[in-house]
Amino acid sequence: MGLLAFFVTQSLNALSQAALLFFLGVGLTLIFGIMRIVNFAHGTFYMLGAFVGYSAARLTGSFWLALALAPLAVGIVGALFELGILRRLYRRDESAFLMVTFGLALVLTELIRLGWGPEALQVEAPSVFSGIVFVLGEPFPTYRLFLAGAGILVALAIWQFLERTRLGLLIRATSQNAEMVHALGIDVNLVRSAVFGIGCGLAGVGGVLAAPLVTASIGMAAEMIIDAFVIVIIGGMGSFPGSLLGAVLVAFVQVFGEYYLPDLALAFMYLVMLLVLVVRPGGLLGKEA
Amino acid sequence: MLALAPLVFPTYGMTLLTEALILGVFAMSLDLTVGYTRLISFGHAAAYGFGAYACGWLLLHTPLPMVAAIPLAALLAGVVAIGVAWVCTQATGVSFSMLTLAFAQLLYAVAYKWTSVTGGSDGLAGIPRRPGPLGLHVFVSRNGFYYLVLIVLFGAFLFCRALVRSPFGAVLRGIRDNEAKTLALGYNTRGYKIAVVALSYGLGALAGALYAPFAGFANTELLFWLLSGQVLIMVIVGGAGTLIGPILGAVFFLTVEHQLSNYTEAWGLFFGLIFIAFVIFAPEGIWGLIRARFVRRSAVEPEFRRGVARAR
Repeated sequence: MGLLAFFVTQSLNALSQAALLFFLGVGLTLIFGIMRIVNFAHGTFYMLGAFVGYSAARLTGSFWLALALAPLAVGIVGALFELGILRRLYRRDESAFLMVTFGLALVLTELIRLGWGPEALQVEAPSVFSGIVFVLGEPFPTYRLFLAGAGILVALAIWQFLERTRLGLLIRATSQNAEMVHALGIDVNLVRSAVFGIGCGLAGVGGVLAAPLVTASIGMAAEMIIDAFVIVIIGGMGSFPGSLLGAVLVAFVQVFGEYYLPDLALAFMYLVMLLVLVVRPGGLLGKEA
Repeated sequence: MLALAPLVFPTYGMTLLTEALILGVFAMSLDLTVGYTRLISFGHAAAYGFGAYACGWLLLHTPLPMVAAIPLAALLAGVVAIGVAWVCTQATGVSFSMLTLAFAQLLYAVAYKWTSVTGGSDGLAGIPRRPGPLGLHVFVSRNGFYYLVLIVLFGAFLFCRALVRSPFGAVLRGIRDNEAKTLALGYNTRGYKIAVVALSYGLGALAGALYAPFAGFANTELLFWLLSGQVLIMVIVGGAGTLIGPILGAVFFLTVEHQLSNYTEAWGLFFGLIFIAFVIFAPEGIWGLIRARFVRRSAVEPEFRRGVARAR
């Protein structure tokens, strides 16, 4: 394999990985920005997306319908959790959120196990993207290419949503000064429900999209959640462009680290995180903490 | 009362209780930072795992007796922790939590890959409870080891109580309630924070060092972030800002986990629901509930509540 072809295919690989990380990270960071909550259940929502996506794909026979329906369902579960539980706790300190979201992660995981059984479930990639394309003469799975593209599309969509829509404006305003937004007569609680729902829904998108690649399984939450934390911390908690930057950075460190320094790849990721935090405690694009 | 436990409990119960009390030391050590200083460490597993690996390594590769290896491992961890604390206390709030998490995960990654010392993903196995010195054998048996744990727990409790009641402890609470004010009063708050974080890690490592000869192994799970989350929950469920609370939390956590897993496959479901219920209905934890029921006035708790109120 030529050096150029190697770099291009590995980079595409990293981009597809970055897309999956981004779907989790962006929700985590939006939720943190608005509510100061570190959502421990975020990986579980991602997993829920994969399982609901599996069922939706089987019932409707269409991956695309599943991709539309499952995130919606996951988002609704998230919004309901915000309405029913989190809303009672906004006047408490952050340890309360840590515990309820940790508790929710346990409950949801168990419900998924009860509902879908302990086995990993295979989800078929849509036939258009199930093959192989040749990139500079090297074979590359089409689905990964699609993932990278989907990541870029969704990132653009979220950016436009935050910049151009009224809800996006309210989200940005609330993350800067919730009290002021409240004083202007906006129901901040509604913004919070919406953001929690949207964030969980985006994790659901990630889950559905990851399913053809890694199968829907009980272990998938624990695998992703800490990586998602790392990208959000590196990028800056609460920063949307930060989550994008963090996802790309971590994915490249993972993919190329795994190739060049397989023994140090894992440690390298945390080392990067540590370095970033020591130099900029708020993360690369975050507010100074 | 706890000293009589071996007369009452069956073998299985004693093993469970011993583990619970080890976790009690661990949770209490975390509360020094979480409850008394409001530095929410999210990487306390680093202390536990480091202590366990260090003690296990000493018992496997040196002729040191168990009663020497355990405190030595804790001391080593405490010294290393000074550097970690120096870095982590540069940040505050969530950033502090994330820095401690980063250190713990880094240690996890190192333990996972540094196979020649840590045994990699297999961990260290066959860690002996080496007797001595001078033919001292009492701590080797199951019940003997339980008494060793009990002695350490009691000692750690007395130490922490003296600490939080000392002028040092008063400064810690000052930092918790209003760091700017404490700094303005002329206290070097950074120095105090470094000291308490290092102490907390050292004590946490003491618990881990007990775990290694208790279980006979040390593996990477002892360094994983999940344990950091669990011990934080023990502290909060038990009652943060008290010393008894975290111990109760640890005992509660382990007992409920074991009992539920006996009855139902889906124990995680009920476990999770219990946590959520605790947060909503009993924010001051188990010890808070007990106190509200039996003790009218308390010295620490209203203070802690005020600290929480201010932290909003």
